[in-house]
Amino acid sequence: MKRLSGFYLYAALVALLPLFFPDNYFVIVVGATVLLNVILAVGLNLFIGYAGQISLGHAAFFGIGAYSSAVFTTRFELNPWLAMLIGLGLVYVIANLVSRPILKLKGHYLAMATLGFGIIVNIILVQESSWSGGPDGLGDIPTLSLFGFVIDTDLRWYGLIALFSLAVVLVSLNIIDSRAGRELRAVHGSEFAAQMMGVDTVRTRTHVFVLSAMIASLAGSLFAHQQAFVSPESFGFVFSIEIVTMVVLGGMASTFGAVFGAIVLTLLPEGLVVFEDYEMLVLGAILMGGMIFMPQGLFVFIAQKLRMLFKRLRAPDPNKEPQTPLQGRKSLECDS
Amino acid sequence: MTLLQASNLDKYFGGVAAVTDLSFEVQKGIIYSVIGPNGAGKTTLFNMLCGYYVPNAGSISFAGKSLEGLQTHQIAALGISRTFQNLQVFYNMTVLENVMVGCHLRTHTGLIKAALRLPSVVREERQVREWSMQALEVCGLAHLAEREAGSLPYGELKRLEIARALASDPEFLAMDEPAAGLNDTETVEMRELILRLKEKGITILLVEHNMGLVMQISDRVLVLGFGCLLAEGTPQQVQNDPAVIKAYLGEEV
Amino acid sequence: MLDQIIQFLATGLSVGSTYALVGLGFAIIYNASGVVNFAQGEFVMLGAMSAVGLLGAGVPYPLALLVAILIVTLVGFALNKFAIEPARGASVVATIIITIGASIFLRGAALLIWGKDIFSMPSFSGDEPIQIGAATVVPQNLWIMGVTIVLVLLVRYFFDKTLYGKAILACSCNKTAAGLVGINVNLMLLTSYGLSAAIGAVAGLLIAPIAFTSFDAGMMLGLKGFSAAILGGMGSSMGAVAGGLVLGVLESLGAGLISSGYKDAMAFVIILAVLFFKPSGLFGFKSADRV
Repeated sequence: MKRLSGFYLYAALVALLPLFFPDNYFVIVVGATVLLNVILAVGLNLFIGYAGQISLGHAAFFGIGAYSSAVFTTRFELNPWLAMLIGLGLVYVIANLVSRPILKLKGHYLAMATLGFGIIVNIILVQESSWSGGPDGLGDIPTLSLFGFVIDTDLRWYGLIALFSLAVVLVSLNIIDSRAGRELRAVHGSEFAAQMMGVDTVRTRTHVFVLSAMIASLAGSLFAHQQAFVSPESFGFVFSIEIVTMVVLGGMASTFGAVFGAIVLTLLPEGLVVFEDYEMLVLGAILMGGMIFMPQGLFVFIAQKLRMLFKRLRAPDPNKEPQTPLQGRKSLECDS
Repeated sequence: MTLLQASNLDKYFGGVAAVTDLSFEVQKGIIYSVIGPNGAGKTTLFNMLCGYYVPNAGSISFAGKSLEGLQTHQIAALGISRTFQNLQVFYNMTVLENVMVGCHLRTHTGLIKAALRLPSVVREERQVREWSMQALEVCGLAHLAEREAGSLPYGELKRLEIARALASDPEFLAMDEPAAGLNDTETVEMRELILRLKEKGITILLVEHNMGLVMQISDRVLVLGFGCLLAEGTPQQVQNDPAVIKAYLGEEV
Repeated sequence: MLDQIIQFLATGLSVGSTYALVGLGFAIIYNASGVVNFAQGEFVMLGAMSAVGLLGAGVPYPLALLVAILIVTLVGFALNKFAIEPARGASVVATIIITIGASIFLRGAALLIWGKDIFSMPSFSGDEPIQIGAATVVPQNLWIMGVTIVLVLLVRYFFDKTLYGKAILACSCNKTAAGLVGINVNLMLLTSYGLSAAIGAVAGLLIAPIAFTSFDAGMMLGLKGFSAAILGGMGSSMGAVAGGLVLGVLESLGAGLISSGYKDAMAFVIILAVLFFKPSGLFGFKSADRV
């Protein structure tokens, strides 16, 4: 039970928010965007945070998922769930194909290759207007329905995306705390030593790359149906960078760090709307400042500060048992 | 029975010969030491054994199987493990998790099963934890299991690498300078540990500069000089070999 | 057909020269500090925008260009001082995020100062097309190529022949050792950021008269320059120059002969192909795998 205490806390938060604010636009609509970004960030964190790789083209997989859903439901009138599966299959194949040459690379070379891949996919979406709708995008994407229950309100969309996001967080937590998760972290820690322990590191990196691409594709499909409209600009280089930033700013190699990063980076522009023209300036400053002063990530930084605070609070009475909130928070950190 | 056999190994880096025409055999169950001055080609030999370098000529076979063309993880799967002179600890994990990676070859859970956390995964995790704690106990690190690997002092990191290798249940363990940088007490502990591994039936290939340690525990010793075999035999034979005394231990006074 | 190809070659070399300069900027900073500076494209944008702004304010032409270069050089110093130096020892991913943050910051600053408008800048010396063999070029094309050649030679001389240049290279090999032999490592890093920013600014001034400029003009140029640097083998400054030229020519040929819509994709297709078959770049000596 302790292993998943952080997950339960998160699930409770996600479930309770709409109960308290059922008609609040900010909570429901922005909340759904936050949860969608949580899916992306948690998925990419497996590749970047845990396996220690880098991808600056992840928005491409998000885009392929979204466009699969859009094209197959509008042009071929397929069932949306089937279209989603086709998208996942497509991403599975593409990610496997590109991973062979791409994952031989490391560091800046890997950054360049993934960046190039992302830009090429984006340009294809713009250019192949006969099926993609070109720069104007594709509209009239039907909404999803689940066992006859049509997802047609903001609140229902919040619920559906929340379910998927909880599933992805749970899957991430499960993987990290298993043989497969230790493979990933071993690749990050020392590739040679991992091999010496029998880990096929090329296979490991391919698997996690494909998994994280498929998670992005899933998010893309949900996004397409939720918005009922897709256009290439949602899936460009800038968005790839945003997903990476969520992972890094929140705290690498921590599932809840990625969750936290997704929350902060989605809410930030909403908050910065007040500043209008200063939005980019402030966003850039926060990225730089965050990385310079909290290289370990916001989540870990805040967790450390909280721990120090608790220690100080506890100091006058050393015999007292650790309080329950402390236990909860601590395990949240270890498991994440 | 011969477990490891190297025949006529050559390895060049550019024009520099790191190892030339090196042949030797390691019998099962013994401690086989390789000594020689710095730059004699000891670590190069290790890296060829592990598939990190490909020899320019010659071959290595293990338990009758040639290692040619095998990748490091495939060589590991044959039952060969090693520790590193420059530590290769997974600093992003706890001590216990480091050792749990060592159990990799004894378990099978893949990504999908792990994602769903099937009951078989939970059972396997419990088993892995048990094996790892046993390995940590053998190396005297059990009390540090939950510590971050990065917080351990040097001597304990060296033992952590041994525990990790041990967790893979190897038939053959190559140790690259396990006593380097250790103080006298720690060296004695290391000696005891190596002997315990031998008792467990593990064949050990040892590269070490501490002559006292080598001569005390080795069954056979190979002396390398500039990539060539200078002498091979029991510690007694090697110590009395004139070529070794001249080239390695220095002129007699 | 042949005439057309010659025309594409001429355009390609001219565009490629700007990629070469941006790539050179990447290589200089990477060489000195091991950082890939994703804000390199913003230097280009800032150079062009500052010059346009200064000209608009009535500053005479050559002076405006010089002041623009100076301003961007100061920005380069500031980037090193306030963003890179405090984060020494950060991971590759962290430095990537920092420089991307810097590029967003600079773009935001440009947006505040100059707004979202698209600007054009008068050329250095008239717009009368010149016929050279089968190719028609404007004088600005010649300026671009000429200035690029001179700059590249100067940079080459600086790193190969001067003690100062060699000291910067020493920092790239081993910072600690360089410090121990008495090299002021911080000063060297500052110099390389300033130099790199100045080269970026020059690239911006060169290209602005033939391509419009706006607050977000730097991003694509930056990415192309990064491609040039990778193509040449990260860390080889002459490789980056060659990479930029190759990229410019192939892009121009591809856009002319295959499809103009895929012009921007061309650079990345080439770079992926090169990385797949020769991961250390065309002219690189270092392996991509630095264990």
